[in-house]
Amino acid sequence: MDAGGVGGAGDSCFEKMETEEERTELLRDRFRLSVISIADAEAKKLGMQVAEPVVACIADLAFKFTEQLAKDVELFACHAGRKSVNVKDVILSAHRNDHLTSLLRSFSQELRDKEPKTERKRKKSSEKGETSVPS
Amino acid sequence: MDATFDPDLIHAIFKIVWSRRAERNEEIDVVDIEVGTGTSKKSRPTTANPSALRVSCELLRLFVTEAIERAAIIAEAEGINKIEPTHLERILPQLLLDF
Repeated sequence: MDAGGVGGAGDSCFEKMETEEERTELLRDRFRLSVISIADAEAKKLGMQVAEPVVACIADLAFKFTEQLAKDVELFACHAGRKSVNVKDVILSAHRNDHLTSLLRSFSQELRDKEPKTERKRKKSSEKGETSVPS
Repeated sequence: MDATFDPDLIHAIFKIVWSRRAERNEEIDVVDIEVGTGTSKKSRPTTANPSALRVSCELLRLFVTEAIERAAIIAEAEGINKIEPTHLERILPQLLLDF
């Protein structure tokens, strides 16, 4: 990680890029490992085997998808005048597919339900002002 | 418990993408002196809340799972027990359109 770069602004720019590339590669590898475990678990559930090139391809695609997702949610949050991405931004990114949107909505609802009561009360009071049971 | 992505890993990837974008916007600002610091929204670093990261992990997990499931259907239809690249090829266009 220490590229030993000396010199002016130009060099430090390259130095930063080199570590960014290294960081990206590291993240890509960790990401691929996650994909392998998810893919293997899923294949096992279906009673099938997966060829290695298939998993590698899915990992690369999913990584690109993640990068695209990052851009999309940043744009949505910025558009809403926020600098912090929230759940609604992520759900919005799936707007092209209704089924996917509803899956994400119920997932986020489950997350909210699992949260400790104090969190929920705070959220509820900012949204509705009533301590009613979530629908 | 189902295997899923680590929110911190996804967060790290997001941060790299966002910092790349912020750098590019900085370069643009430097070139166009007259604009000044008007584009403040972009110069502030974007962050993500923890629930958003978990939903993102779910979205990515669904992507991987769908890919495997759809390819498996093709493989099964051919009577093969192993998912091969040709099976993935067949389902890829629709998968990318759906996501």
